[in-house]
Amino acid sequence: MSLSELSDEELVVVVREKDKEAYGELIKRYQTKLSHYLRKFINNSAELEDVLQDVFIKAFRNLNSFDTEQKFSSWIFRITHNEAINNIKKRKNERLLLDENEWDVVDEKIDLGRELDGKITGEQVAVALTKLKEKYRDPIVLFFFEEKTYEEISDILKIPVNTVGTFISRGKKHLKDLLKK
Amino acid sequence: MENNLNIENKVMEEIKSGRVKLRSKYIFLAEKLGVGSAFALSIILAILFFTLLLFYLRSSDNLFYLSFGSRGFMAFLDSFPYSLVLISIFCLLVAGFILKKTNLIYKRPFGQMAIFLIIAVILLSTVLAFTRLAERIEQGAFNPNSPGRFFRPFMRGCFEERRGGVVGRTVEVGGDYIIIQTPNGLRQLQLNALEQTSLNEMATGSWVMAVGEGEEGSFSVQLIKRIDVNEMPFVERGVRRHFGQQFLNTSTEFRTPCSMGGCPNR
Repeated sequence: MSLSELSDEELVVVVREKDKEAYGELIKRYQTKLSHYLRKFINNSAELEDVLQDVFIKAFRNLNSFDTEQKFSSWIFRITHNEAINNIKKRKNERLLLDENEWDVVDEKIDLGRELDGKITGEQVAVALTKLKEKYRDPIVLFFFEEKTYEEISDILKIPVNTVGTFISRGKKHLKDLLKK
Repeated sequence: MENNLNIENKVMEEIKSGRVKLRSKYIFLAEKLGVGSAFALSIILAILFFTLLLFYLRSSDNLFYLSFGSRGFMAFLDSFPYSLVLISIFCLLVAGFILKKTNLIYKRPFGQMAIFLIIAVILLSTVLAFTRLAERIEQGAFNPNSPGRFFRPFMRGCFEERRGGVVGRTVEVGGDYIIIQTPNGLRQLQLNALEQTSLNEMATGSWVMAVGEGEEGSFSVQLIKRIDVNEMPFVERGVRRHFGQQFLNTSTEFRTPCSMGGCPNR
């Protein structure tokens, strides 16, 4: 069986017990997704690359702490999330970054357009998302832009599943209020 | 694509060179055990101290002072086991802190878990307060070789002399005073300020409870009543512990009034 046919969790077992080089397969699977997520928080490409590298190194170092009964995706996203937050805290004025495709997501999924007069720019949404409290912003970003389920968000952010729904709902309301100003 | 290969290559280079290694699984196991043990210990201590608190309230003189109405309130406050309450709360807070910080049970809302913990501690403590465990701890608190001596500092307030109230076994009845054996020694109760006089009830060997004002060496009684010591086994044990064989003696040894040096333990 080739490495590409193994699940993430099976690959972790292989890396731990047999072949550390199998970790390369995990990097291949996740670098684009994690890079996409980090791009919300880090504008500079070189810096993003450094942070992404740190994420994979940290994940490797702590691989023995991963419970293979859980989803590897949620586990590595948590590490990425924490690194992204640490990076934001270093730069207090850092703003959330959305690309053009994600502006459409805002319109379709978060559904702000109908309630607000005039056109909202992606820039305004990004600024408003940055102003949102972290506890509301993070579930919104993970749900609408990274397409994570409530269960996955619960595992990434270490909050109850019901709370994820509540925070997303309240976050949307606060976002609309911020955009109305 | 090129960037992706770059990251993969850099990370794998670090791994192959040995600069980045897997942390031992035993470190994570030790961390989990440590956190689990700390959590379990704080819960166990919370249960133990709460058990002691309920046991003390159930078997000591503390709540009985309230039967004197507002006069007994100061004695109630004086004899209340504040340290046991504070320690129980502290242990629960530590357990809650560990639960929150380590995300031990993040799937459930923290508030729900906290309420569940508090109810579990109260229920278990209530059950244990009716077993012999608390009594053994109390006895162990006075034994230098017993593990129960760990609890003695926290139970200090339970054994100290009260300013506003007193309870003990009558060993001498005088004209305007009685002498009683208390867990802290002999105490002379002055009855001059007594609001109602019922000295007939204060026979030698009877157990009495009084509220008033304590000063060094004596206690000025405002209200006094005879009690059934079976309702306060904590006090009886304290008196037995203090007086030992003397507890079993009659009042013959104490015929001489204290003012004439007739109180050997004072």
